[in-house]
Amino acid sequence: MADALHTLSAAELGRRIAAGTLTSRALCEAFIVRYKTINDKVGAFTHLDEADVLAQADASDARRKAGQGRGPLEGIPVAIKDNIAVKGQPLTCSSKMLASLISPYDSHVAERLRAAGAILYGRLNMDEFAMGSSTENSAIRKTFNPWDLARIPGGSSGGSAAALAAGLVPLSLGSDTGGSIRQPASHCGVVGLKPTYGLISRFGLVAFASSLDQIGPMARSIEDCELLLNALASADARDMTCFGPSDRALTPAGDAKKLRIGIPKGFLGKGVAPEVAAAVNAAIEFYRSQGCAISEVELPSADLAVPTYYVVATAEASSNLGRYDGVRYGHRSATAGTPVEMMTASRSEGFGPEVKRRILLGTFVLSAGYADAYYVRALRARAKIRAEYLAALAGVDVLLTPTVPTPAFKVGEKASDPLQLYLEDIFTIPANLAGLPAISVPCGKSGHLPVGFHLVGAPLSEAKLLAAGRLFEAAHGYAHQQAAL
Amino acid sequence: MAEGFDIDHLAKLARLSLTAAEKALYSSQLNQILGHFQALAEADLPSTIDDARIVNEAALRSDEPGPVLGAEAVTRIAPASRDGQISVPRVVDDES
Amino acid sequence: MSTSPSDWEVVIGLEVHVQLHTRAKVFASSPWGFGKEPNEQVDPVVLGLPGTLPVVNREAVEKSILFGLVVGASVPEHCSWDRKNYFYPDNPKNYQLTQKDFPVVVGGQVEIELPGASRNVMGEHKFIRIHHAHLEEDVGKLSHAGSGSLVDYNRAGVPLLEIVTEPDLRSSAEAEAFLRSLVAMLTQAGVADCDMEKGQLRCDCNVSVRRRGVEKLGTRTETKNLNSISSVRDTVIYETARQIRELEAGRSITQETRGWNAELARGYVLRDKEDAHDYRYFPDPDIPTLKISRETVARLTKLVPENLYDRQRRYVEKLALPYTAASVLVNDRALAEWFELAVAAHPTNPSGIANLVANDLLRDLAASAGAAGSFDEAAPAQVSLSSCLIKPAQLAGLVKLTDDGVISKQQAKEVFAEMFKSGQDAAAIVDAKGLRQNSDTGELEKIVQEVIADPAVAKSIAEYRAGNEKAINALKGPIMKRTQGKANPVLIDQLLRKFLG
Repeated sequence: MADALHTLSAAELGRRIAAGTLTSRALCEAFIVRYKTINDKVGAFTHLDEADVLAQADASDARRKAGQGRGPLEGIPVAIKDNIAVKGQPLTCSSKMLASLISPYDSHVAERLRAAGAILYGRLNMDEFAMGSSTENSAIRKTFNPWDLARIPGGSSGGSAAALAAGLVPLSLGSDTGGSIRQPASHCGVVGLKPTYGLISRFGLVAFASSLDQIGPMARSIEDCELLLNALASADARDMTCFGPSDRALTPAGDAKKLRIGIPKGFLGKGVAPEVAAAVNAAIEFYRSQGCAISEVELPSADLAVPTYYVVATAEASSNLGRYDGVRYGHRSATAGTPVEMMTASRSEGFGPEVKRRILLGTFVLSAGYADAYYVRALRARAKIRAEYLAALAGVDVLLTPTVPTPAFKVGEKASDPLQLYLEDIFTIPANLAGLPAISVPCGKSGHLPVGFHLVGAPLSEAKLLAAGRLFEAAHGYAHQQAAL
Repeated sequence: MAEGFDIDHLAKLARLSLTAAEKALYSSQLNQILGHFQALAEADLPSTIDDARIVNEAALRSDEPGPVLGAEAVTRIAPASRDGQISVPRVVDDES
Repeated sequence: MSTSPSDWEVVIGLEVHVQLHTRAKVFASSPWGFGKEPNEQVDPVVLGLPGTLPVVNREAVEKSILFGLVVGASVPEHCSWDRKNYFYPDNPKNYQLTQKDFPVVVGGQVEIELPGASRNVMGEHKFIRIHHAHLEEDVGKLSHAGSGSLVDYNRAGVPLLEIVTEPDLRSSAEAEAFLRSLVAMLTQAGVADCDMEKGQLRCDCNVSVRRRGVEKLGTRTETKNLNSISSVRDTVIYETARQIRELEAGRSITQETRGWNAELARGYVLRDKEDAHDYRYFPDPDIPTLKISRETVARLTKLVPENLYDRQRRYVEKLALPYTAASVLVNDRALAEWFELAVAAHPTNPSGIANLVANDLLRDLAASAGAAGSFDEAAPAQVSLSSCLIKPAQLAGLVKLTDDGVISKQQAKEVFAEMFKSGQDAAAIVDAKGLRQNSDTGELEKIVQEVIADPAVAKSIAEYRAGNEKAINALKGPIMKRTQGKANPVLIDQLLRKFLG
């Protein structure tokens, strides 16, 4: 029986635990066994503290037996991307810079998960400081796509997606700055949601680009994704940009079959692989067959999204990553000398090439004489893009595109071409720039590789995105899919 | 738009030391990326930045002191410390 | 020298950094205060741990707005924060949160009073315009220890209001007067404590000189981190002389950042932080633009105390106080309010009350409290009225007893000393000590007649009768002596004139 647990949904596991037919300890032990046999192949986790997990599981079982269970996530393991702080656990961001850091505090989402009775289960690999689309930029280890171990799992939340696809955990947390939840979800055949900016507190999420970053739930089904989202979303006075669900009510889902779906003009043309286009077109036809109104919408400034994103994101990152200087915590170079020399050496040794590249780019776009041409213009372009999206979403409920133009590429294939990698994010970036909720839903395969479609909605329309996904999921066989390992 | 790109100046501002090979690589990559940003220079953009991010005073923190980490916890995660303080190489005196 | 210093005009602008009076830090809930062990007042936000976020302290914003209202600034509808990026070990995030484009205070002015020709003469008044004031975070402290340096982040994140003046100041005396006035306004409104010994007020001083009559400003230098009024004054004097010397020697002034060595009383050029000129400011994405409600402004407006010099004018013009007493009282809001309570209890002699408060009470309070440090070493020590045993109405009672002729002014001093020690009412002390003046006319008439009959005073009587008014005073001493000083001097005078008339 233990062998099968990893194939079950979080919702089902939660029901069994609540019914007393399964203990959290038994569940966690089963996952630990699986971790020991599979993680080295996939490389999803960078750290798992078994004793701590079992102690949490025992505490959960004791609560439940005392009639103090905390809800549907009681006793369920949730794995966490290594840029989200959990007290007493590593917080490496998959960087040499923070390799030795143990977080002295809990993020808001960690507190929420504890309050929901969930087990904080291990640390997941990622691109260093969430900068990348393949998880190849991790300084800790490589993560491979469970569907094809020669390929990348996507990124930056590659560990979060791979862990789900490999059945290493039923739920995981990712973070998304330009597509870092949705792109790996698409590549690994799982569901990934980036919520409305401000729905989930960023307190305890290591900042990459503060105005774009959001934590989001990842799961193998819409139901599980929603379960996790509900546990995470709450107002938090420690994040001034977080309003939570209390201030502004989430838009109700309504009838998914009456959704108006917009297809951005030209999005299925440029650089989209034929198998990806075919899978996405099939999804569009499915919705049409269900009664949804399909229409084409114009997003004239779509071409500005990638440059705008890379200016805003790198500018903020160059400042956010200034704090890593070897003084207060993290890597300090053995090089002696002046403080300037020590800081410079610590940063040069502690950061990998992609992080350095983005810091340099961000420093440039903010520097004297260039800020107006780059940073300020990017803010204006961002306002324009946001306005166009909001206008489009006034006429339709959701916008549907591929999540990624192509299926997962081979490890090392694009490592030397940063610009090509940046263009991977072309469909996912606008949601971050505009602060909109977006989801990637598995919709087929390109050969043996999963493909997902992408839905973007108006602010706080998460329920609509989930309802649309549920409608599709119920009629297709992609929920709970796992790679055979 | 990408004129005046000075990798040495940027590295210094960002507190990064780069080898000659890194400088050459990053320079060419950044130039390529900045070339792609040309669309931004040519676009017709609104003159104002419509800042959707406005909060009222309810978002402010009340003046209630909260918990502290304590010097022990601060120095425990520090790479080097002494007597409850974080030690760094000597900062050169300002007076010349 | 071919020209005299009077051919030159000095132009001064100040940037005053004041730690605001709050309990928690400006973007974190960590407490702060003076005299704690290093790094004991640090939380994850202050330390800039990965994943932490700033949240603005309401009290710090309101204290800033209150300052704006005190100086008559306009309170903007919105304010926002920016990041100033620079690497330094005392700067935990390697960016400082400050307000560049939309500060919390815009405009306003501070009235100043220059020294008069003498202590009891009021000097010239002038208004110094405030350009703006912005709310930012303080940095940690570096100290040197052997071959290395040590960092204490207790000060990091302490709320700092940076008040930037227009270049309106024209002398070291004006700079000094401005800072005195500013400190009085800040402390009287409860915005800040301005305690120099605790580093609560620091000043950057921009100085340039130009030939009189020339409109164009000269090249300025900025002397940073001055922590007392005397340092500011000395810096202005030093820098003015240096710049005039340079210019008269045909050299030019370099726009530079300077430091001040108070011990050696000389300035020096600071080594430029290599990238100090490119702070890469941008709006902090963690702190949304803050809308300031008009309700808050209205509520804070009620907390604005009477302006220092409005109060002084009122004391001199309406209460007819001598300038000297008025200027002492208005310098300390609590003392002035104490004084006004006493006047309310005995409205007919404000000057009598003012003299006791400004001289006797202040002196005794200062002696019993011991002087506390202040940004302004020359100012009278701020005293604490909380430990004062005398209540305003009691002091009014003492003045009334004197005014009614019950005790003499001399006796009043003695009674005051006793009141200060015990907190008893003046009347009770007068009775207990038997100090009440003798106003029994019958008994006093007898004594007056006896003294007049004494041949020893015959000469004085003759002189008085011959028209020398002052001669009558020679008779008062013996009368006082016989009554052991308890006789009412007014009554003695009346009786003497009656009998000698």
